[in-house]
Amino acid sequence: MTDLLEVRDLRTWFHTDRGIVKSVDGISFSLKRGEIMGLVGESGSGKSITGFSLIGLIDRPGRIEDGSSIRLEGRELVGLPDRDLRGIRGKDISMVFQDPMMTLNPVVRIIDQIGMAIRAHEQASDAQIRRRAVEALARVRITDPERKVDQYPHEFSGGMRQRVAIAIALLHRPRLVIADEPTTALDVSVQAEILKVVKALVSEMGTSLIWISHDLATVSSIADKITVMRRGQIVEAGPVRAVLDRPQHPYTQALLDALPSRSQPGELLASGATEAAGKLDPSTLGGSAVGAPADSGFVTAQGIDKTFARRAGSLRQLGVRLGLASEPAQVHAVKQAALTIARGEILGLVGESGSGKSTLGRILCGIIPPTAGTVTIGGEQVMDGLRKRSTKVQMIFQDPFASLDPRRSIFQTVAEGPVAHGLCTRAGARAYVDRWLRAVAFDPALANRYPHQFSGGQRQRIAIARALAMQPEVLICDEPVASLDVSIQAQVINLLMELRRHLNLTLLFISHDLSVVHHLCDRVVVMRHGEIIEAGTATQIFHTPKQPYTRMLLDAIPRLQP
Amino acid sequence: MASFIIRRFAQAMVVLLVMSLLVFAGVYVIGNPIDVLISPDATQAIRQQVIEQYGFDLPIWQQYLHFLQRLLTGDLGSSFVFNMPVATLIAQKLPATLELTLIAVLFASAVGIPLGIYAGYRPDNIAARVIMAASILGFSVPTFWIGLMLIMVFAVQFGILPAGGRGETRALFGVPFSFLTLDGWSHLILPALNLSLFKMSMMCRLAASGTREVMLTDTIKFARAAGIAERTILRRHVLKLISIPLVTVFGLELGSTLAFALVTETIFSWPGLGKLIVDSITSLDRPVMVAYLMLVSALFVVINLCVDLAYAALDPRLRHGGQ
Repeated sequence: MTDLLEVRDLRTWFHTDRGIVKSVDGISFSLKRGEIMGLVGESGSGKSITGFSLIGLIDRPGRIEDGSSIRLEGRELVGLPDRDLRGIRGKDISMVFQDPMMTLNPVVRIIDQIGMAIRAHEQASDAQIRRRAVEALARVRITDPERKVDQYPHEFSGGMRQRVAIAIALLHRPRLVIADEPTTALDVSVQAEILKVVKALVSEMGTSLIWISHDLATVSSIADKITVMRRGQIVEAGPVRAVLDRPQHPYTQALLDALPSRSQPGELLASGATEAAGKLDPSTLGGSAVGAPADSGFVTAQGIDKTFARRAGSLRQLGVRLGLASEPAQVHAVKQAALTIARGEILGLVGESGSGKSTLGRILCGIIPPTAGTVTIGGEQVMDGLRKRSTKVQMIFQDPFASLDPRRSIFQTVAEGPVAHGLCTRAGARAYVDRWLRAVAFDPALANRYPHQFSGGQRQRIAIARALAMQPEVLICDEPVASLDVSIQAQVINLLMELRRHLNLTLLFISHDLSVVHHLCDRVVVMRHGEIIEAGTATQIFHTPKQPYTRMLLDAIPRLQP
Repeated sequence: MASFIIRRFAQAMVVLLVMSLLVFAGVYVIGNPIDVLISPDATQAIRQQVIEQYGFDLPIWQQYLHFLQRLLTGDLGSSFVFNMPVATLIAQKLPATLELTLIAVLFASAVGIPLGIYAGYRPDNIAARVIMAASILGFSVPTFWIGLMLIMVFAVQFGILPAGGRGETRALFGVPFSFLTLDGWSHLILPALNLSLFKMSMMCRLAASGTREVMLTDTIKFARAAGIAERTILRRHVLKLISIPLVTVFGLELGSTLAFALVTETIFSWPGLGKLIVDSITSLDRPVMVAYLMLVSALFVVINLCVDLAYAALDPRLRHGGQ
């Protein structure tokens, strides 16, 4: 019996104005019926383009080059006319994407989206469509499917939307499903559920699956075999156990070493996977916190409460006053939260989306005022009424693409705050900025360039330099590595650890990634529904959690090796 | 939903009240209608009598209150010039403008949106480039010039279409309309085309940029990966996703064309509202100006309300929780 999928010398090149980009450059692999392959690589490795090539969705200027071959059950797909390819898409091969918020059309009801997908390949009456839509939702374990089919995507949570997308992908019982980072945008607990559903459905239907991901741990929990890609080529392939236990290629080894879960907490991570990592230059540093005395209650937050009121219209307000209407619902984001951070400590703040952890972080930084409660740093109030007073606390955000102004050069970005606060003179700004850029191992010669000329990791360094240049004593990091590749993530984590050591910085590290928190943090606080439900040292939380919720979070962490 | 409509209605009332104040004050300072109404050689007694008859001797706030009072009872006053109720005057002219505008805006949408979607769907195609270039032309060439050219070519050179007037009309609910007769249509085509070119270009460019953006989203990739045909994707995904800015512009254009179809109406001697308002301004016919401006504000308010309701119908996210 032949393999289900046979890929030979696949080359997908993009013919751009500035030359040919060889996104996928001569890869070969095969897949048996019912087999699950994990396709692993960092951004730009060509793993997603490989997925799109298989399903025939490469748009100009991209092109599958002559000599490439993709055979599905012996049938050559490369060079098929569009019409035939469309007949295969969704029927024989289907695909699930990363962000379930983006894949479903927000203005079309679920049943109509399912109906369109069914009618793409067969005739069906409205009654049949309804019956099959309900079946499809039930199959991915969505409760109350009869009612849910008539809803719109925004009425579903992220995990539920991804289930709907999976249900649509499985409508025609395809031979092959390609899942492109399907759980990356989801919380760990939701990710674990999706993994379970997909695993069960795939084995029930005998479907083969290609699971594209940058996360070795997730892949290892679902796949039979792993293929590692780098710069458009396959560097290593083999059964999961073999690849993880005895990686043959240095790149695979480097990817594994960069995982925080593979080294002892507090150790510097191996980050050799990407060149140009740069070394931290401690000689240039100096900061207000160096040599400061120990202080166990350096950052103290007490009774922090934050409600976001839905804005009531004037008529509604009148109605409320007359007793005819109810107060608009309030969102209680943070409830009576209290925490302390000792000087020089790294505190991890953990929770799922909507737990209020980012809101609490922003309150600690003085970006938004709390509804009640106070935050002090070294005994001094952070907020003065509604205004931020202290420059001792600075923040680093998750998305380094959104947090830097694209119209300002790196120099302008970093210099703005210090000049405004008199930490350096306008004339001395150049030397001052250079010093902090060097501190984060960023070449100061590049300071006149603009953010779009840099990669995600470099931008995050710039964001860190911008925060450090204010000479803060406390740094609030809101998911600073969530959108970065593992090797870059390792570099940024190393950088934060070194900076803490050299500058005696106090860090609040907000994250949903428990393995990173375990590696980096001294103490951990767990939030759920706006409340702090558990706090303790990292060892306590990770080895002897008291709350069932914390235990559930820990169990949901995908681990290397099944 | 009900509370939304009630709230919008209350807002509309406030807008109209403020508008009435602005209109009244604005018109009051334009000039003294007495000079127009009475011949210069009339006696002082007659002059005084006329002033009192129209209430011009009262303080302005009293005049405003009287005006508001009459407005609320549906009395828009009488035209100084035509000596007939303003309501009747406007009712005579409104249908002509209404049919011209509606046909122009509908035509612009029916042609502009599909062309725009096509241009956004295949941006590198020659036809798409021609469409986009033509739309820039449609934007920038002045309406009056195109109107004159249309008359030159179709009426003068080829003599296949009339140069002006409404042509034969037929009554519908007692109101005469041109679009019910063949001759009426031949009179409608040129002015409607003239009016619609600018809107068509606008719709086209909006649809094109919206489509280009939407085509790159994961929603469309996911639909394609499910094997859905391109036609279905364009009709059922793209059109719905780009519709909100289109509806906005549709509403705004409908309103502004109804109010200010002036140039086209003048060139094609179309007996609509545009001509009426210009005449009333030159003759300082206050009641007509005021009534006209109030009508225009009311129209804008109603159209905007419809646009908002259309948003809610088009985007379920605005229906729930929002507002």
